Amino acid sequence: MAIIERPATVPAFVGDASASPPALVTPTAALGAFKRPVSTTGWKSWVFTVDHKKLGLMYGAVSLFFFLVGGLEALLIRLQLAAPDNTVLSADLYNQMFTMHATTMVFLFVMPMAAAFANYFLPLQVGARDVAFPRINALGFWLFLFGGIFLNTSWVLGGAADGGWFMYSPNSSPLFSPSHGIDFWVLGLQITGIASLVGAINLIVTIINMRAPGMSLMRMPVFAWMQLVTQFLLLFAMPVITVALFLLSFQRNFGAAFFDVEKGADPLLWQHLFWIFGHPEVYIIILPSFGIISEVLPTFSRKPLFGYKFVVFSGAAIGTVGWGVWAHHMFASGLGPVSVAVFSAATMLVAIPTGVKICNWTLTLWGGKLWFTTAMNFAIGVIVLFTIGGLSGVTHASAPADTQQTDTYHIVAHFHYVIVGGAVMGLFAGFYYWWPKMFGKLLSERLGKWNFWLMFFGVNLTFAPMHILGMQGQPRRMVVWPKKLTGEGFFNLGFWNQVATVGSFTIALGVLIFVINIFVTAKKVEKAPLDPWDARTLEWMTASPPKEHNFDSIPTVHALDEFFHRKYEEVDTEDGPRLVRVKSAEQILAEEEAAGDAHIHLPSPSYWPIVLAFSLPVIAYGVIFNLMLSVVGAGIMILGLFGWVLEPSVADDSDYDPPAEGSGPSKELASIG
Amino acid sequence: MEQSEAMVSTREGQFAGRRRLVGLAAGVGLVLAGCAKNAPQDTFQPAGSNAREIDGLQRELFYVSGIVGLIVFAAILYAIIKFKDRGQDIPEQSHGNPKLEILLTILPAIILAVVAVPSVAAVFKLDKKDNDCVINVTGQQWWWEYDYVQGSTCGGVEITKSIVTSGELVIPAHTDVLLRITSRDVIHSYWIPRLNGKRDAVPGRLHTLRMQADQAGIYTGQCTEFCGLSHARMRQAAVALEAADFQTWVTNQTADYVAPEADTLAATGEATFVAQCSRCHQVNDLLSPDGTPVLAEPDLYVVSGAAPNLSKLMTRTAFAGWTFDLISAECRDKLWNAPPDEFGALYLQGVTPECFDEANLRTWLRNAPAMKPMYADPTKLASTGGKTRGMPNLNLTEDQIDELIAYMLERK
Repeated sequence: MAIIERPATVPAFVGDASASPPALVTPTAALGAFKRPVSTTGWKSWVFTVDHKKLGLMYGAVSLFFFLVGGLEALLIRLQLAAPDNTVLSADLYNQMFTMHATTMVFLFVMPMAAAFANYFLPLQVGARDVAFPRINALGFWLFLFGGIFLNTSWVLGGAADGGWFMYSPNSSPLFSPSHGIDFWVLGLQITGIASLVGAINLIVTIINMRAPGMSLMRMPVFAWMQLVTQFLLLFAMPVITVALFLLSFQRNFGAAFFDVEKGADPLLWQHLFWIFGHPEVYIIILPSFGIISEVLPTFSRKPLFGYKFVVFSGAAIGTVGWGVWAHHMFASGLGPVSVAVFSAATMLVAIPTGVKICNWTLTLWGGKLWFTTAMNFAIGVIVLFTIGGLSGVTHASAPADTQQTDTYHIVAHFHYVIVGGAVMGLFAGFYYWWPKMFGKLLSERLGKWNFWLMFFGVNLTFAPMHILGMQGQPRRMVVWPKKLTGEGFFNLGFWNQVATVGSFTIALGVLIFVINIFVTAKKVEKAPLDPWDARTLEWMTASPPKEHNFDSIPTVHALDEFFHRKYEEVDTEDGPRLVRVKSAEQILAEEEAAGDAHIHLPSPSYWPIVLAFSLPVIAYGVIFNLMLSVVGAGIMILGLFGWVLEPSVADDSDYDPPAEGSGPSKELASIG
Repeated sequence: MEQSEAMVSTREGQFAGRRRLVGLAAGVGLVLAGCAKNAPQDTFQPAGSNAREIDGLQRELFYVSGIVGLIVFAAILYAIIKFKDRGQDIPEQSHGNPKLEILLTILPAIILAVVAVPSVAAVFKLDKKDNDCVINVTGQQWWWEYDYVQGSTCGGVEITKSIVTSGELVIPAHTDVLLRITSRDVIHSYWIPRLNGKRDAVPGRLHTLRMQADQAGIYTGQCTEFCGLSHARMRQAAVALEAADFQTWVTNQTADYVAPEADTLAATGEATFVAQCSRCHQVNDLLSPDGTPVLAEPDLYVVSGAAPNLSKLMTRTAFAGWTFDLISAECRDKLWNAPPDEFGALYLQGVTPECFDEANLRTWLRNAPAMKPMYADPTKLASTGGKTRGMPNLNLTEDQIDELIAYMLERK
C-alpha cells in the first residue's frame, strides 16, 4: 500500500531497515487529524480499501449473495405456478415476489457481478495498477451494498414493492400502491444508480487513459471493449432512470402530479422514460458476458477471436442502435401505427450486429484445437442459449406478432434465454476462467461439469416450455392460472408449468453445486499453475492472485493477445510454419519482475467512501419515515464530503505508527514479491 | 414448434457420444409433445381475420428463426466434434476473413428485410378503423365494462338503445367490430388471443382494436397489463353469435325491467338489492318503493367510479371480472365445446336453473374480498378517502344472500 519503494537488490519490505509493516494503525484525533486506515491485514484492510481487486471481490461476493436471494424468490414463484389455482403465495406476496425477483437479479446480481469482473480485470487487462479514481470505486461498491440492503429491508418494513420492475404509472401511485414498498424501490435504485454512474465514469477514464504503452484501442482485449461500451451505455442510461425515479418519488412523497391522469398527465410518459433506460439496460446486462466469452472462446480454441474488429464494432453498433428501439416494449400501448412500424423495423436492425457476434464466436471454434473445460462449456452454452433467445426475439420484433406475444410467457422465455442463458452463463464462464487468477486455486472441474450440465439442462427445462405456455395463451404476472384454460391432453399447459418448476429446481441444484465448489476449492491446498489455461491476455502476466500493485513493471504491448505472442513464436519447419512455445509463463513473469519499476505509487485507503455511502440510506429512510432522519443523513454526507476533499490521495508520514526504535523511515511499505 | 426443434439441436450440440443419444431422445420427445390440445387462448388457432393475419406473419417468423437456429446449431455441433483437441498442432493465429464477415453481415440483413416488409404492412392493415359497429370497452380494477354505442349497426342489427354489460363481449359473427378502449384507473390491456392481439387500456387515452370472428362461439381472454392485486382475476371473453341470435340478444338486453312477482323470495330480494347493492350496482329501470328511479352512484364508493351493471347478470356465464363461473363445469364445457350451429341457442338460454352454480355466487356474497383479493379493508382506506377498490365485505346474513340470489336469478 501507499508508496512502494523498491530496494535495489532484494525484494523485501521496502525502506532501509525494513521493519515488517505495521499491522494496525490507531486513529488518534478527529477529522483531518485521523490517521489513515493504512493496515494491510484484518477487516479494516477490506472496509477502507481502495484496491480495485479487493473491491472487485467484494462486489462479487455481495452479488453472489443477492443472486441466491433472487433465486429463492424465483423458486417461490415457480412453486406457486406449479399447479393451477395454487395457494403457496397470496396475490399480494406474489406481486412483491416477481417485482423483487426482477429487481434483485437485474440491479443486485447481473449488473454488479459484471462490475465485479470489470473492477477486478479491467485494470489488469489494460496493464494498469488500479482504476483512475480508486476512492470513487470504493464509494460505488458501498453504495451498491447499502442500496441493496436498503431495498431488501422493505420486506420487513411493511412489504416490498408490488408494481413490477417496470413500475408502470399510474399503478405505482400511492393511491394504487399504498404500502412503502415502491418508495423503498425508488430510493434503493437511486442509491445503486449512483454506484453504476460513478463506476461508469471511473472505468471509462481508466480504459481511455490508463492503458499500457503500446496498447492501442484495437489491441485491447474484447472484454475491455465490451465493458467500455457497457460503461458508456450506463453513463447515458442511468440519468434517464434517475429522472424518472425522481419524478415518481416526488409524486409519491411530496404530492407532485407528473403521472396523475386526473391532472392531465399521460401515463405513457413513464413508459417512455423507463424504456429509454430499460432497453439500453438489456445491453448493459448482456455485453459484459459477451466480453467474457470473447476471452474464453479464443483461449480454449487456441486461436484469436475470429473477426476481432467485427466483434468490437458490432458491440459498439449494438450499443448505438440499442438507443433507438425502446418503444418495442410498447407495441400494445397504443402509440399509433407509424411509431410502431418504425420501432419494429429498427428492432430488427439490432439482430444484425447480434448475428455477427454469434457467427464470429462459432467461427472462432472453427479450425481450433478445442479444450472443453468448464469455462469453455459455459461459453459454448452461451452461444447456444443466446441464439435461441435472440431468434425468439426476432419473432416479436415484428410488431403485429408481438401484440400476441407481449406480456405472455413467450416473452418470459425469450428474455430468460437471453439473461440466464446469455448473461448469467457468461458470468459463470468468467468464474471458472478467472478463479485461479483471483484466488490462486482452480475450481474443481469435476464439480464444474455438474454445475454446467445441471444449469444448461435446467435453463432449457425451465424456459423452453414457456415458449409454448405463452403462445398458447398464458400471460405473465398471474398469481394463479385456472385449470379451465390449460387445454386438453397430457401435454397441457399445466404439465408444461410443472416441467418449468422442475427445471427451476434443476438450475438451483446447479447453483448449489457452484457454491459447494467454492467451499471445496477454498479448502484445497493445491495451488493453481501460473497460467493454467495457456491464456492470451495481460492479466495472466502477473502473479496469481496478483500483487497489490498488479505489475512489477508495466508491460509494453506489441500485439493483440500480447501474452500469447510472448509465449509462442512461429518457426519454419519442413511441413511449413509451426507455432512453437518459446517461453513459459513463469519465465515471462520472472523477466517482468526483474525489470520491476523502482517507484510504484498506489493510492492510500480511506474512511470516507464508506461514510459518504452510508449517508444515503439514512437520508432515504428519512424520506420514507421522518424527514428529521434525512437531516441526520445529510449531516453525515457533509462530513463525508469534507473529509474526502481534504484528504490527500497518498497518506502522509504521520498516518503511520512511529517506527520501531532505531529503525529507519516511518512510512508503511508494502511487500513486493 | 420451432423452438422445440431448436432445442433438439441445442442438446445435440452439447452432448458427446453416449450422452448425445439421450439428449436426442429427449429432444425428439419434446417435439412430439408439442402443444396442449384445444387450449382456449391458443394464438396458433386464430378464429378471425385479424388474428389470422398475425398468425400468418408469426408462423413465417417461427419458420425463419427455426431454420436459422438449426443452421447455427449444426455449425456449432460440427465444430465441437471436428475440432476437439486430439493433439493437433496449435492452429494458425488468423484473425478472420473479411469477405466472409461481410457476407455474414449482409445475409441476416436480407433475411430480416424479408420479414420486416410484411410486418410493417400488417401494422397498417390491422389499424383500420372503418367500422359501423362500435363498442366502448373500459377497464378498471378488476373487470371490463362494455357500452354498445347507440346508433351503431352491428351485423345488420341496429343498436337503438345503449347496452351496458361486463365480462362477456357479445358480437355478431362474420363482422368487423371496432372496440374503443380506455381505462378508469390504472393501465389494463384487452386481449382475446384467438381474435386479435392486445391493446392497452390507458386512462386518459382512447385506443382502438378490431375484432372479427369467423363463426359463433366463445373466445376467452385475460387482462394482460399488470394492474395490481387481482390482475390475475381480471378476465374476459368475446362471444360471437349469428345475426339472428345477435338480434335476439340485443332485444333481450334492451327489454324493459320485469319486477319479481309479489310475495316471492325474489321480491324480498329486490328490496334487499335496493338496500344493500344499488349504491354501486345499477339494474336498469329499477324503482324504489316510493316510485323514484334507483340510480347507482359508484363514484361515491369505488375508486374507479364504476361497478358492473347487473340488469342482465344471468345472461352471462361468469362474474367478478369473468373469473368465477355462474354455471357448473359440465354446462361450461358443453357451451365452450358446442358446434357453431348449436352454440347460439345454448348461449341465449343464459344461466338456467339446472346449470346455475350457486356455490360461487354465495361465497362471493358472503365475503367478496376473501374470494378475490381487493383493496376493500375499511380500516386501510385512508389514502382513497374511504373508497374501496373492488367489492367490500357487506356482512350479509344467509337470509339476505338467499333473497339476493333468488332476485339475481331472474335478471336475464
